[in-house]
Order: sequence, then C-alpha cells, then structure tokens
Amino acid sequence: MLNNIKKILFILVAFVSITATNAASHAHQNNHVNHQITITDPWIRSAPINAPALGLFMNISNNTNQEVRLISAHTKGYKRIELHRTIDSNGVMKMVKQAFMPIPAHAKLHLKPGSWHIMLIAPEQVPSEGEQVSVSLKFNDGSTQTIQVLVRKGGMMMQHHSMH
Amino acid sequence: MRAKFFMVAGAAILLIAAVLYSLSGSKDYRSLNAKLTAAQIMHNPQRPLSTFSLSDHNGDVFNNNSLMGDWSLVLFIYTHCPDVCPTELANMAMLKAQLKNKHAAIIPKVVAITFDPLRDTPKVLKTYVAHFDKAFIGVSGDTQQIDQLVKDLGAYYERVVYDEAGKPITLKKHEPLPDDAIEKGYVINHTARVYLMSPDGQVLAGFPTPHKVDDMANDIELLIKAFEE
Ligand SMILES: [Cu+2]
Repeated sequence: MLNNIKKILFILVAFVSITATNAASHAHQNNHVNHQITITDPWIRSAPINAPALGLFMNISNNTNQEVRLISAHTKGYKRIELHRTIDSNGVMKMVKQAFMPIPAHAKLHLKPGSWHIMLIAPEQVPSEGEQVSVSLKFNDGSTQTIQVLVRKGGMMMQHHSMH
Repeated sequence: MRAKFFMVAGAAILLIAAVLYSLSGSKDYRSLNAKLTAAQIMHNPQRPLSTFSLSDHNGDVFNNNSLMGDWSLVLFIYTHCPDVCPTELANMAMLKAQLKNKHAAIIPKVVAITFDPLRDTPKVLKTYVAHFDKAFIGVSGDTQQIDQLVKDLGAYYERVVYDEAGKPITLKKHEPLPDDAIEKGYVINHTARVYLMSPDGQVLAGFPTPHKVDDMANDIELLIKAFEE
C-alpha cells in the first residue's frame, strides 16, 4: 500500500517536472520565434487520392497593435498554393482568390470550411489522414513561421460536434 | 331508393375527391414548412423534372428511372473545388450516419452530379466520391443534359478563369473555355443546395447552405413521413 502511494507520488512529481521543463523550453523557443502571431489548430482536410485541390485551415492570432497580413504559404509537392476565401453571395458560393489575409490588431482570423482557406493545388501526392505536413507561412512584417499541420477529416459539422 | 341515392352521391363525392387529389398533385406540403428547420418545400407537380440521360461513375446509364423507387439526396459538385464541395460531401456522409443513429427506416442514397463533366469523368468521380462514402453515386455526362437538370432544380453555376495579371474573369453561360484553361485551371462559382428526391423521381425539398446535419436528418424524417402518409 505504502509502496503504491510512493509510486503514485513519484509519477506525479515526474509529470509535474516534465510539464515544467516543457513550458520552460516553450517560453525559451518563443523568445526566438515570433510570438506576436500565433497559429493554433492547423489542419488539412483529408481528401480523395485524386483530389485536384486541398483545403488548409487554422486559427491565426495577431497579438500586436497593428494589422498583420498573411501573404503566402509554402509546402513541398504542389503546383500552386493560393489564398482563398469562399463568399456566399445569395446562395452562390464564390471562391475568391486573395492577395493576402488580413488579421486585425489583437484579433483572430479563423480559416475554416466555407470561409478563408489556403488552397493547395495539384498535389504530387495527396497526404493521407493522420499525416503531418510541414508548412511555412509568410507575413508582411517579414516574419515566417513553420508549422506542422495534421491531415484530418472535417466537414462543417465536425467542429460543431467537438464543441459539445 | 333513398339508400341508392346516397350510394351514388357517396361514390360521386369519392370520385371528385380522387380527381382533385390527383390534380393537386396529391398533397400540399407547404403546411409542413412551419415544422421544417432546414428544408424548403420544392414539390411542384406542374413542373416535373425534364427527361435526362447521364452516366454514373461505373459508366452505366443514369436517368430519370435511376431516381425512381428510392429516396435520394442529389447535389451538384466539382472535384476541383477546394472547399465547398468536399464539405458538402463530408456532410452527406455525416448525415447518413446521423440517420443511422436515429434508426431511421429510410436512408436516402446520395447522388453527386458534376458541374464540370469536362474534367470530372465517371472514372474521376468514382475515386473521388468513394472517399467520402463507398455507396455515394457520382454522375457525369453531357453538358447540355446537366445544364437542363441544373435549371430544373433552380441551381446555378459559372466558370471563372484568370487573365495574365491573375484577374478573375467570369465566363458567360455558353462561352467556351479558353484553350489554356485546363492547363491553367479554372474554378466554378456555384449554388450548394442539396435536393431531396422522392421515390417518384421528383424533387420534394431543397436544403440551402449551411448544412446542419442534425436539422437535415429531422426534416428528412418529417418529409418522408408526410410523403408516405
Ligand atoms: Cu464547390
């Protein structure tokens, strides 16, 4: 019994110290990377193996006092990568190419199905579900961020369900 | 004498009722509108679907008969669509799952007709739609035939090419694609309604965007019940 408690305590201490180290190294990293613009939940929608175009989505937070613009995205293995926005104009869904994506000061831009998205065109090979894809994002303040993007399923309702 | 009169009168009333019933195209589904949260009634016996003949993703004929006998959900897609069409197809797969969860007696089959038969051949559609659900049916074929269906169902699409400077140019309805369009790519602006077709091969209701799967499943059950009553 006492032994068990010791074991649990040990695991707890180990866990806390690992978490603390992680947090510290994170903070350390962030001093070198641009922490003014943060990317969360980046994902590529898993698609048929012959899909001519893929959608890339994420949250981009701008923690600065001025507007920041995403000007391009890069990853290997595509003919073209474009910034797009789907606009619903009286029931007609229009895919409109954008020169940049504006993220207002102290605000978040949510790239999601039916809205802002990055379009990956003519893939050499469509990545499969569960794969991680490295993508770099270029902003107008001169900064670049490289993120790991998960390939996963997702319709409009997926996010809706996960919120419950 | 009196009994005979009542019998004749009764028969006449039944006959008139039957004629009225068939003339009015059976029921007035508009009374359902108050209960529906996602669907809009499109039932209109005065305007049946045109005769059409297309090809399913196995290369077999897909025509008016293919929509008869079963309930179906029909939608228009194109595989070069980066956003709206894959979302719709994913939603249709979730809708089927939702109906299954609710133990629905009838789960409509899903038919995805391409706006873009030039690039979306039956073979392309077969690989594409099966990704979302093995049972989905992809349909391609002659542009004029597809355009007729698009018109009948009140859908709409327009093709957009880009000029040298990258400026978008929307093509007119029957304007041919520029020679380099296949190479350079083009997108299609389009409506994204889903149509519920009853087993008589006619449209009963339409679901405009956004497609909320839970609401759609409820409405589909209500509509099927009303039709079969
Ligand atoms: Cu589309």
